[in-house]
Amino acid sequence: MAQWRSSRRDNEEGVRFSPALFIFLVLVSCILVASDRPENRPQVLSGVRAGFNDAAMPVLELAAWPLRGVQNVGPWWRRQFELAQENRELREDLAELRAWRDVALSLRDRARLYEEALNLETPAVRERITAWAVAERAGPFVRSRLIGVGARDGVREGYPVVNVYGLVGRTVDVGQRSARALLLTDLNSRVAVMADRSNARAMLTGDNTDFPRLEYLGTDPDIQEGDRIVTSGDDNVLPRGLPVGEAVRDRDGRWRVALYSDAAPLDLVWIWPFEPVAPPEANPLSVDALPGLNAEDLTGDLTGDAPQDAGTPQNGETGSEPETSGPGGAPAAIAQTSSSDGTADGAADGEPGGED
Amino acid sequence: MRAPLERRSAWPTLAGMALTLIPSLLLHAAPTRLPTGMDLLPLLPLITLFIWAVRRPRYVPPWLIFLIGLLQDLLIGGPMGVWALAYLVAFSIARPRDEEGGGEIGPVSLRFAVLALIALAVAWGAGSVALGQPAGTADLVTEGVLTIILFPVFAFFFARRKERSTFS
Repeated sequence: MAQWRSSRRDNEEGVRFSPALFIFLVLVSCILVASDRPENRPQVLSGVRAGFNDAAMPVLELAAWPLRGVQNVGPWWRRQFELAQENRELREDLAELRAWRDVALSLRDRARLYEEALNLETPAVRERITAWAVAERAGPFVRSRLIGVGARDGVREGYPVVNVYGLVGRTVDVGQRSARALLLTDLNSRVAVMADRSNARAMLTGDNTDFPRLEYLGTDPDIQEGDRIVTSGDDNVLPRGLPVGEAVRDRDGRWRVALYSDAAPLDLVWIWPFEPVAPPEANPLSVDALPGLNAEDLTGDLTGDAPQDAGTPQNGETGSEPETSGPGGAPAAIAQTSSSDGTADGAADGEPGGED
Repeated sequence: MRAPLERRSAWPTLAGMALTLIPSLLLHAAPTRLPTGMDLLPLLPLITLFIWAVRRPRYVPPWLIFLIGLLQDLLIGGPMGVWALAYLVAFSIARPRDEEGGGEIGPVSLRFAVLALIALAVAWGAGSVALGQPAGTADLVTEGVLTIILFPVFAFFFARRKERSTFS
């Protein structure tokens, strides 16, 4: 039998466990376990994590590089036999997608026309950020991937992470050169979703299994097996319409989602910069911010007495400051609220078109 | 002719530990997920740590055990302190004792199995506390079984060449 022989000196000293040091380290571990909870993680620990990820990134990248090659060897051999079939399917898909591209382009043009007509300023679409996953573990306590881009590449906390098939997760613990993607399957993942067919809303809740649950569906949800599930955007955390997966029932009859993103290895992902809509209090409307428009013009517009040319000063009132008669000195037009018949309630006294 | 141990430099041992412990941590965190969805890897840091605790017990102090556990937590992105606590408690209970250093692979593997089970149990408890709800056991059991089954293979390759060739 194979023998293991330590030296006599090693044996005499053994693994020395100083009681004081042991108790101290156990205490430190317990404090870390108790304080490093995802829902109320101290900023210090988040910083430590992000800093560590940044420092470990080059080594992890180096370690992941050969593994990536090894990962692809098996599928490559296996797929040699499937290539002809796949090629035929891809050609059919391509023909169909060409038609869809024309539809998409025409819709884009139409949307642009509407935006111009309504004078809408939609948020500019920012370019996606490509990243490699350099560390991943589907362990019992966490399902996340460490990706090789960080704040210096434009990544911020909460950005959606997608692969070629669909949503993978969102970014957390963003460092300068690295970020962690919390997967949809993680216990701490909560994403507002809906069924594409019926718009039935639900919360996609990770439970560390490969099929996250659909919760808060209501008593009689309009969901069918195979329904396409997309993000609803209701949570203002992720944009609306990102493909997530298909609705399936588990053995207990509960609704779960078979994720699209599982169809591909997660080593190459994209991060979509997404700015959530700011709450109204944080972004108050200011008349000063609207060039060529003053309070009187806006009041007249609200009461149905639209000015001839909102951008042109009238009756020689050039450069006049907007009158402020609303609460807290707010501009008069902003202090008013529109009633159902299109007129302004409580219009400022003396304003043209006011009902008082 | 090998020099007596007390006159031998510590550097080869330290270098050996660094060259095995660090890669085991990196490999444990690396993207080894197969396209079929399987993500099976044993607890390589625990195996490596235990092997060094058997071969060179005095080079495996509690702070190193804590550090390896903490690094594992950080690299996999899990709750901090879970594996650090698990390894500390497991080694404090089932570490290779003074009079039992070295030995045949069979008994050593048995001791490792006990140590791994303690580590997994503590990790489950600590992980559940960190998550605020009972953690799933399927992944943990799979990881544990794989670790215990594969340990003799690693132990065989880490055993000294002379002893490895003298199977009885």
